[in-house]
Amino acid sequence: MKKLLALVFSGLLAWSATAEAAIDANKAEAFVKNLTQEGIEQLINSNVSAAEKKARFTKLFNEDLDLDFIGKFVLGRYWRTATPKQRADFIDVYRKLNIQTWSARFDEFKGKHFEFLGTETSKSADQIFVNTQVPMPEGAPASVKWRVKDTNGKLRVVDIIIENVSLAQTARSEYTGYIQKSNNCIECLIADLKAKLK
Amino acid sequence: MMKKIKIISFVVTGNLLLSSAVLANESDSDSALESYNRTMYNINTTLDDYIMKPLAKGYRAITTPFIRERVSNFFSNMREPATAINHTLQGDFSESGSSVGRFAVNTTLGLLGMFDVASGWGLKKNKTGLDETLAKWCVPDGPFIVLPLLGPSTPRNAIGQAGDAAADPLAWGDYYATFGKDWQRYSFYYGLSALGFVSLREKKLELLDDLTSSSVDAYGTIKSAFIQNRLKLNVCADKDAQDAPASYDFDFDDEEDY
Repeated sequence: MKKLLALVFSGLLAWSATAEAAIDANKAEAFVKNLTQEGIEQLINSNVSAAEKKARFTKLFNEDLDLDFIGKFVLGRYWRTATPKQRADFIDVYRKLNIQTWSARFDEFKGKHFEFLGTETSKSADQIFVNTQVPMPEGAPASVKWRVKDTNGKLRVVDIIIENVSLAQTARSEYTGYIQKSNNCIECLIADLKAKLK
Repeated sequence: MMKKIKIISFVVTGNLLLSSAVLANESDSDSALESYNRTMYNINTTLDDYIMKPLAKGYRAITTPFIRERVSNFFSNMREPATAINHTLQGDFSESGSSVGRFAVNTTLGLLGMFDVASGWGLKKNKTGLDETLAKWCVPDGPFIVLPLLGPSTPRNAIGQAGDAAADPLAWGDYYATFGKDWQRYSFYYGLSALGFVSLREKKLELLDDLTSSSVDAYGTIKSAFIQNRLKLNVCADKDAQDAPASYDFDFDDEEDY
């Protein structure tokens, strides 16, 4: 009986291991290529109003970035103690603040393009790094790595690493540090982030 | 014999006491360093708000992008000797040779470095410095510190900056003799250095404005980004360090209990 149980159990383990399929490197790279191309064509090089650009960016951002996943990581250990409303509020304001910050910077990307340098495996089987670089007018090109996650066949970006600086990690240090300093007040962080919205 | 044991036990307990004192001090000094850093960051930010930022904005207002690029190229050409020396120290002789070539071509044909003629000849810019050399020699970085006026740094970074500055031809100074009087020499030198800082600050106007307008703790954000960025330098001959996963490949999973 014990042997049978062990057999069933190990079978289950093997099954669950294959269920979390490894992310396809080629698909991930094609996904980021498509994303950057769309971004450059629709936002950087097109002659539409700033409001239209922001609307297009919002759509791209919401579709191709897994902000629920990122937000959970960014809030660190406070995610567990946060109420469902706080979680939703945080994700919402974090999303808006990101869109606001990036929308203001489209012009800086004028004339720039991404060069693709292949992929790099991650510790997580369902995630991969797509390596790119942006040639700069002066000096060495800037390194930009896209961390892509496969969620049931749908690919989304979960982190962007610019010159070795992870945006998710940086936001996490900032926000968890802030909450800690304000006596574990998650509400205070959300209020302060809301105040940053224009 | 007894004496020896006494000495040994004295040394051992002494060491234990010492190391526990060091440990206790370490957390104390960590928080002391952190509070110093925050204070210095605030002082620097205030100075920046009142002096550097207005100067950088004024500089942008009275110059065209073409002029700013000439100025920036001039200062970046002056860093070429430090780059050449450090490529040699890192054992990269071909890069060192190309730096020497760049400096020679750009200083002459490129009109004191204002035009990067050498890049067109295939001598591409590949900047390095003493900080990177020390990193390759496995010299530890040390803790994050905010320097007065200069901003975010580490002990190794500070030593590197000082070393690079010493290799800057602008610091050698003999040609200032043409000015004759001391005050003329000093004002020329300090004026030129100030222009270099203003030119650097001008390039970061948008970035730093963005950061302060979107961050709830600009110091925390800068510290985190600065430390992460430096980790890419820390690839010395140490085998373990090379096998370690990249710093940005942290655990990032649904199941993870943060």
